[in-house]
Amino acid sequence: MPPSLGLRAAFRALTITARPVVRAPLRPGRLSQLRTFADNTTSTPPPQIPGQDGMPIPDSFTGSAKEEPEQAAAAEGQESAGSAESAESAEPASPLNQLALDQLQLASYGLDPFDPHVVGHKYGLPELPIPSNMRAKHRYDPVVEQMTRLIMRDGKLSKAQRDMAMILNYLRTSPPPKINPARPLLPGAPPASHLPLDPVLYLTLAVDSVAPLIRIRGYSGIAGGGKKLEVPAPLAARQRRRTAFQWILDVVDKKKSKGSGRTMFPHRVAEEIVAIMEGRSSVWDKRNLVHRQGTAARANLATVAKRFGNKAR
Amino acid sequence: MSVPNGLRCLLRPSTTTSIPARIVPVTVLAASFSSTSLLGKNPLPPKGKAPPSRVKVLPGGHIRAGKKMQLGKFKKNKQVDRSRPPAPGERKAYRKRVTLSNNNALPVEGLEEMSPQAMVDPEKVGRMLALPNELVDQLRAVEAFKPTQTWNMFRQPSILQRKETRELAEKMQAAAGKGETLKLVISGDRLVGKSMLLLQAVSYAYLNNWIVFHIPEGQELTNASTDYAPIPNTAPTQYSQQAYALRILQFLRKANQKLLLDLKTVFPHPELVQHFPVGTSLLQVANAAKEPDSTWPIFNAVLQELTAEGAGRPPILFSLDGLSFVMKASEYRSPAFELIHSHDLSIVRRFVDLLSGKTKLPSGGAVVAATSRGNSPRNPSMELMIAQQEAKQGLREQPVKEPYNRKYDDRVEAAMRDIEVLRLSSVSRSEARSLMEYWAASGLLRTAVDEKAVSDKWALGGNGNLGEMERATLLTMRY
Repeated sequence: MPPSLGLRAAFRALTITARPVVRAPLRPGRLSQLRTFADNTTSTPPPQIPGQDGMPIPDSFTGSAKEEPEQAAAAEGQESAGSAESAESAEPASPLNQLALDQLQLASYGLDPFDPHVVGHKYGLPELPIPSNMRAKHRYDPVVEQMTRLIMRDGKLSKAQRDMAMILNYLRTSPPPKINPARPLLPGAPPASHLPLDPVLYLTLAVDSVAPLIRIRGYSGIAGGGKKLEVPAPLAARQRRRTAFQWILDVVDKKKSKGSGRTMFPHRVAEEIVAIMEGRSSVWDKRNLVHRQGTAARANLATVAKRFGNKAR
Repeated sequence: MSVPNGLRCLLRPSTTTSIPARIVPVTVLAASFSSTSLLGKNPLPPKGKAPPSRVKVLPGGHIRAGKKMQLGKFKKNKQVDRSRPPAPGERKAYRKRVTLSNNNALPVEGLEEMSPQAMVDPEKVGRMLALPNELVDQLRAVEAFKPTQTWNMFRQPSILQRKETRELAEKMQAAAGKGETLKLVISGDRLVGKSMLLLQAVSYAYLNNWIVFHIPEGQELTNASTDYAPIPNTAPTQYSQQAYALRILQFLRKANQKLLLDLKTVFPHPELVQHFPVGTSLLQVANAAKEPDSTWPIFNAVLQELTAEGAGRPPILFSLDGLSFVMKASEYRSPAFELIHSHDLSIVRRFVDLLSGKTKLPSGGAVVAATSRGNSPRNPSMELMIAQQEAKQGLREQPVKEPYNRKYDDRVEAAMRDIEVLRLSSVSRSEARSLMEYWAASGLLRTAVDEKAVSDKWALGGNGNLGEMERATLLTMRY
């Protein structure tokens, strides 16, 4: 939004001298904070509005301001100062006048009227990048979102979301995992005591740690004898997480519930995630198996490359 | 093409080779001592080894069996579970267990402890009050904490002191001071915090050394899950629930132990098997109840002693959650197989008589009942009486009794004619803010608590419905 939205013209048309603009320190969130979704009757003091509660109305608003030559000589005020003599004070309020008046009012509140976050926007410009709680579509953490969709059965997304919330709550309330050094987590993982209060990180760390790097792809017709030629293929991050979580769900399906009620499925999933962190889970073995197979089959890459050329990749 | 079948084409055709076994019973036409290897072969397939595929080659030739009907071929072959099945009640106990502490949550410094003065102090409205450990033990003993409440997320149980809490505490204080009985029903929307307010009422009673009879779920009394027996010489017949009476006595023993030890009996109680001379401590009498079979006279004796006039008894609180279950016909049956009205169950009747003002507590006290919106049967009479009372208090317009509804219950209306209703509504922004600050200080809310966040959650939670705010903040996928 260009700040020169008829500003100069507006000032030119004014009969009054623009008061020197009070440049308050730039606080981009200030105005948007004052305007929340619902009515605001809170402990933040309301802005002092001139003309109310005994606040004097500034002279500039009544149009009776005297010209102040030393300030009019400032760079911004020069043009308006020159035109102020020519125009009469009885000029009717045009939209441009109104805009300028609004800006003056802002300045009298101590806000910057030329702030691009405020000018021309009823609610100001959003902060960029848009914070997650302001978005409708992508409001959850990507890992949480993906896991929720994998938990979903029969299209019942809202049940899946409730289950995921219970999983995260289980992680928050269970004691910190005892990390097994034989099953190393991702490098750079925070200490275990930090994890429960950040359940999303907890979940992400567990899933990413057991996620396989590759999958075994079978090429039929190359190995001969009806066998498929096993060739390792790399996985993207999302695919890796999906594989890992499917493995987790496979284990969970075979587990028995301890109690009854709607918390049972999420608690079984969460228990498995804790088991992964502590190195007890059989998902680790699955991952190791795939990696070992991949290591053994990597010689086959050459065969495929020879056969298909660049397309094989 | 397998080699034996191929070679078989070269043989002389014979009947045995061409007729399948399922048509003609296998009779070996050739001499049994024939030395021809093929014919002498056992025509039946070796037992015990099922062919892998449905289409099988018979030994007699190349005729293949057709498709056979298989029942349940789409069923998965389930693995037989050989582990120990859960003991009766084990799964339910797991579901219903209450955890009151989360060691991961950060301890909140500087929280004020709940005390008799703090509960009636207008300064403390809108603050979080931590429950002292002794009180927590007492509340746990009477099962006042519920598994659906989010105690398991915080380091120490703490409750928001709402303005209704102070109102209720003041009413209880006034009633006890004047030696009157406060008869109050807590109503309000779903998840608005009715059970929590009841818990605060119970806390107030314990902190002020009252005797408390708390019934955590009204439905347990009336849904035919405990033993019952008719009480002889009562007309109309009343019914005793000995097992539940024992439970109430156990609650009392655990939670009010100190108080009971100081109170002495004033009646001789000749009806009891054990002899208690006048001046025995009430704890001793209550401790005599060991088995359900012998509980009923002891339960009556304890109640008689506690409501003895002029014996310097402390105030008593009768509290019950889930009122609508005790304001309708129970699921118990009389010997004539008719449904027993809940008010004919003796324990319920004592409560209802106090609520209706038919009997009074000699040294004052309170009868507080909370309605429930989540699990409650439709109860037109109770709803009508609550609505009428609310209209009397100016909270709503006068309700109209439906003229053709036959589900109204005169006994319920008579019992609830003279009650006070505390309509619990949403919390204000400042109360919501202090609660959210507590969440943030516990490390469970990971955003800054400013006006925007408070308004956000306040609006998301149905304009300050505490349970909904909790669902929108603590029980979501987003942190």
